Amino acid sequence: MLIARLFRGSLRPALVALMLVFFAAGSLRAAEPVDYARDIKPLLAANCFQCHGPDKQESDLRLDAGRSILAGGNSGPAVVPSHSDESLLIQAVEGEADVVSRMPPEDEAEPLAAEQIALLRRWIDAGAKFPEDDAPLAAKQRNVDHWSFQPIARPAPPPVTNRAWVASPIDAFVLAKLEAAQIQPSPAADRVTLIRRLSLDLIGLLPTPEEVQAFVADERPDAYERLVDRLLASPRYGERWGRLWLDQARYADSHGYTNDGPRSIWPYRDYVLHAFNRDLPFDQFTIEQLAGDLLPDATAEQIVATGFHRNTQINDEGGSDAEQYRVEAVVDRVSTTGIVFMGLTYGCARCHDHKFDPISQRNFYEMFAFFNSQDEPNYDAPLVAPNASKLPAQREEISRFAAALKALDAKADNAEQAKQELTARLDAAKKQEAAIRAREFASTMVLRERSQPRETYVHIRGEFLRKGKPVTTATPEFLPPLKPSDNSAGSVPTSRLDLARWLVADEHPLTPRVIANRQWQAFFGQGLVRTDNDFGLQGENPSHPELLDWLARSLLDHDWSLKALHREIVLSATYQQASTARPELEPIDTNNRLLARQNRLRLDAELIRDAALTAAGLLSTKMHGASVFPPQPAGVMQRTRNPGRKWNTSTGEDRYRRGLYTFFWRSTPHPFLKSFDAPDSNTACTRRERSNTPIQALTLLNDEAFVEASQMLALRLLRALPEGDDPARIDQLFRWCLCREPGSAERAAVEELVQAERQASQASKPELTFITAQQLPESVTAQEAVVWATVARAMLNLDEFMTRE
Amino acid sequence: MPHLPLELRQYLTNAARRDFLYHCGLGLGSLALGAMQAQAAAPATSNPTAPRPPHFPAKAKGVIQLFMAGGPSQLELFDYKPKLQALHGKPVPQSYLEGKRFAFLKPNATLLGTKRKFAQHGASGAELSELLPHTAKIADDIAIVRTMHTDNFNHGPAKLIAQTGFQNFGAPTFGSWLLYGLGSESENLPGYVVLLSGPRGPRGGAYLWSNGFLPSHLQGTPLRSSGEPILNLANPAGVDAARQERTVQTIARLNALRHAVTGDDEIAARTASYELAFRMQTSAPELVDISDETQETLDLYGVKPGESSFAHNVLLARRLIERGVRCVTLFHTDWDHHGGGENLEGYLDKLCRETDQPCSALVQDLKRRGMLDDTLVVWGGEFGRTPMGEVRATVGRDHHIDAYTIWLAGGGVRGGQTLGATDELGFYSEDGSDRHHVHDLHATTLHLMGLDHERLTFKHQGRNFKITDVAGEVIQPLVG
Repeated sequence: MLIARLFRGSLRPALVALMLVFFAAGSLRAAEPVDYARDIKPLLAANCFQCHGPDKQESDLRLDAGRSILAGGNSGPAVVPSHSDESLLIQAVEGEADVVSRMPPEDEAEPLAAEQIALLRRWIDAGAKFPEDDAPLAAKQRNVDHWSFQPIARPAPPPVTNRAWVASPIDAFVLAKLEAAQIQPSPAADRVTLIRRLSLDLIGLLPTPEEVQAFVADERPDAYERLVDRLLASPRYGERWGRLWLDQARYADSHGYTNDGPRSIWPYRDYVLHAFNRDLPFDQFTIEQLAGDLLPDATAEQIVATGFHRNTQINDEGGSDAEQYRVEAVVDRVSTTGIVFMGLTYGCARCHDHKFDPISQRNFYEMFAFFNSQDEPNYDAPLVAPNASKLPAQREEISRFAAALKALDAKADNAEQAKQELTARLDAAKKQEAAIRAREFASTMVLRERSQPRETYVHIRGEFLRKGKPVTTATPEFLPPLKPSDNSAGSVPTSRLDLARWLVADEHPLTPRVIANRQWQAFFGQGLVRTDNDFGLQGENPSHPELLDWLARSLLDHDWSLKALHREIVLSATYQQASTARPELEPIDTNNRLLARQNRLRLDAELIRDAALTAAGLLSTKMHGASVFPPQPAGVMQRTRNPGRKWNTSTGEDRYRRGLYTFFWRSTPHPFLKSFDAPDSNTACTRRERSNTPIQALTLLNDEAFVEASQMLALRLLRALPEGDDPARIDQLFRWCLCREPGSAERAAVEELVQAERQASQASKPELTFITAQQLPESVTAQEAVVWATVARAMLNLDEFMTRE
Repeated sequence: MPHLPLELRQYLTNAARRDFLYHCGLGLGSLALGAMQAQAAAPATSNPTAPRPPHFPAKAKGVIQLFMAGGPSQLELFDYKPKLQALHGKPVPQSYLEGKRFAFLKPNATLLGTKRKFAQHGASGAELSELLPHTAKIADDIAIVRTMHTDNFNHGPAKLIAQTGFQNFGAPTFGSWLLYGLGSESENLPGYVVLLSGPRGPRGGAYLWSNGFLPSHLQGTPLRSSGEPILNLANPAGVDAARQERTVQTIARLNALRHAVTGDDEIAARTASYELAFRMQTSAPELVDISDETQETLDLYGVKPGESSFAHNVLLARRLIERGVRCVTLFHTDWDHHGGGENLEGYLDKLCRETDQPCSALVQDLKRRGMLDDTLVVWGGEFGRTPMGEVRATVGRDHHIDAYTIWLAGGGVRGGQTLGATDELGFYSEDGSDRHHVHDLHATTLHLMGLDHERLTFKHQGRNFKITDVAGEVIQPLVG
């Protein structure tokens, strides 16, 4: 058969297809029969329906129903059942035949992937079967049968053979697929790896050697569960998970655009951390952020929460059109709401109907209308509870002095001295009041509904000056209906509050799936749907659709508790697997979609620095408050519009705060954050990249903050083990940095460095920037400190140090 | 590795690189060997910016963008309008203003004739102002385009259009697209380098060399004009090259041991990054050390050693291209001559003195070194200036997006021609004259680099993005 095909002259595609079929390379389902509804129709929808579907039938061809595929178009039947080689459809997508041009057209879309073509071939060669009731889509209702728009199912965990492995229903879904592919899951990671992984995932920090020791020695059957619960209860949990949310909220401490002036919106950041720590149900979290100001008797916290959509940029460049940039901000609010909550690329429909998803341009501006009628004020967020405030007492004092002064004024006698004295005391009291205000309140940016709503129009071709048809607030037809509540304001039929409640309604098919998928992504490095920000027709299908629905249901069943979902995931056997590579699975499951192991993941930018500060014993645990200015290389600020702008490096504890508290200038982010893929905060970031660059290497090797950390780590070591021999010190460094003992080859490699450094340091004058000789134990020379600072520096630069395994 | 033949550079990027480095003693020989021994059967690392073949044979291998940030006045430099001088001080004919918006102009603004004298230069007769005596010398090497237009009259967004094709943040810049499409031929330096000069950074900041939604290793690396050329390039106090090498060597050994345990190839890539970083610590200082340039070359550019300047950056650009860097973008501020401090009087003269000579020197220098044929040079800003004057303390003009001038040289560009003509007041392109959008410029420059702008795509948020969005046509007379 192979030879026969070779002689037919379509060597390359045929070979690829054959390899795919026989070796199942890269295809999850190669072993399973192809299913038209599940595999073929969505594939055609994503790639062909735009021109050959319900709305358009180029060349008289429509591919949105099995019958019309067989009937074909102007060139004849698109498919010859059981003969993929003779099928025009295959010749078109392979693009190598003369009789039909390449599809989709080169200038409109990318060619189909080899595995997609292979899938089509397998469907055709198996007889091109489709269900009896397969009907063409109605025009304008296109694509609404996409999987993610369907109600969330309540799937039961499938039966599996190896029931002992199943620690959570999650595992049944994963194992069923593995067993179908005849793959064994990986063994559980060892306890040291587990506690380091779990700590980094849940609280973003390294465990201490004592914590590692205690967990390894804990023989109680629920030792792991206890660890999970301890970490979930830690206030550090809010810092770790809050930061991931701040990525999506595009939080920054400056306005962006040209001038990029500073802004105060950190109370919103603290609101987010607090929300995660008290496990504010995600539906409530959503409602408060999108429409907290519209809640009845809104609390200060709920008003602060609306800062979510104030994290848009502001252009205060001279001569710019304020309306133009207000519109840009509203567009960003629509896009962000679409991507973050629904995994829909709303932004694509700004200038024209969405090319793939059933979102029309009108839908875009109907969503726009929700965000078009707010003022954007600053708000004094209270930092202390009202009953703890010193302001009322202070104000009372002021009015007392003022009254006394008035009384004195009324008497026209010679009370000059008393008047002067009283005036001075009044002034002092007023100053005191200002000081109290500064302590008890912080300015933050919020949304406030206008009394007179703005009118909203479709912007023709996305240009804000070209007004098209007027529209009002509404949600797309293919999603559950929006229910107006009683407190809708004025002429707007439905409010932002209605929109927020609609997003987190139980029957919304997207939000629970999108949010559950993103939690999964954080624990495995990729979601069950890898395009976590696109659940539309151009997105990827879930690797485990039933598991995704089970997770979404679980989230709803637990009243949107994210902590409960996190707990469920980390308690699964799937999560606890070792991350060791399995070369034998590479050809059949290149990207570990089947989850036959955990993934090894480089830490996020902030966490790398946090880890170095932890190892060095420097990390501050102070939470909340205005953003801080840890050291950064000189000259960074000179690249801005405002070269005079200073980065006044924080002193004391603030120098060593967790990375998430670092002040974020949009136009000149701290280079460390930028180098390690922290988002730029211009648009919502739902998934960080994990790059690997020489600039990162230079940063960790030479940056002042890391040099300081390595020297302080050495000092910590030499103080802990002043008389220690080399192996003992090396072991201790491994425990602090990697949480484990070194292997003998590793110890030998480090010992060699120690020896070489000792020799070299005898010839040179010891130079340490951050340690003085007085700080060292008596038994340790400065030369020896240099040796260990070098070793510590190497440890902080290991791949394993910046990786969670 | 100054200007090695392509084959050799490609050779250096393949898996044999470690061997080569070892035998030739280039930097981390012993380190590479140590890592290899420890790694045993571990797979070779791949360089994410290794050269890749173009879509079709390229004319240019590298590009230098001379970006005049702020919007230089074409009416004082390239586009001579006697009629504007004749109507100086008169109101603008209403027909020119219908449906137009301007950033700062008041409705009562009047036409402003230039005070500058123009003359024709070279065999091609290019019309240039007296402010550009050095550019006059390369008149037959450059192609002037007088009918460029863009979409937004604010600096930040217009600069973004110029660099990314989009006025909103988040799209990749031209250099990132080039690296994405072609990789880099430089083994020891980043493939996309940015150089800044002038009184302040360009408006738009780091977005102007951002990778946008492309992978982060494709971002531009700004070289600083004074002090360390790259942040954190120098070893910290107390660390000499030998100590740094021992440290990196130990890191590589320990990484290799972990690689053996975990089987994760990302670890090998990490080690490769450390090796490149270590090589950059030598090659970047070598790059910026211009003591091997002759006095004659320094004089040609107008470089004074030890003084950071646009001229100095232009010389560095040539040195970067020599070393196989794919894209060098220079930003020089500030051409925003509204009147006031930045005006069309003394301030414009100063800017021209700073830039005219080095830009001309670059073309001459590339030419005599045989590098002009495959090095593309693009001069221009984010927009031009209005035919009307602004009523401010000194003479100036407002932002103008409907007709402005750029020039290109080398890299397959047909020099010695002036494309496009504007109307008699310089508002718009003359009837019947082709006008060219920034998208067309991007399509053209990519074309010269061997890339089809329609095929250079990246999928982001459900869409195949191109630097030219849904527009862009190659400007044929430039490349023909």
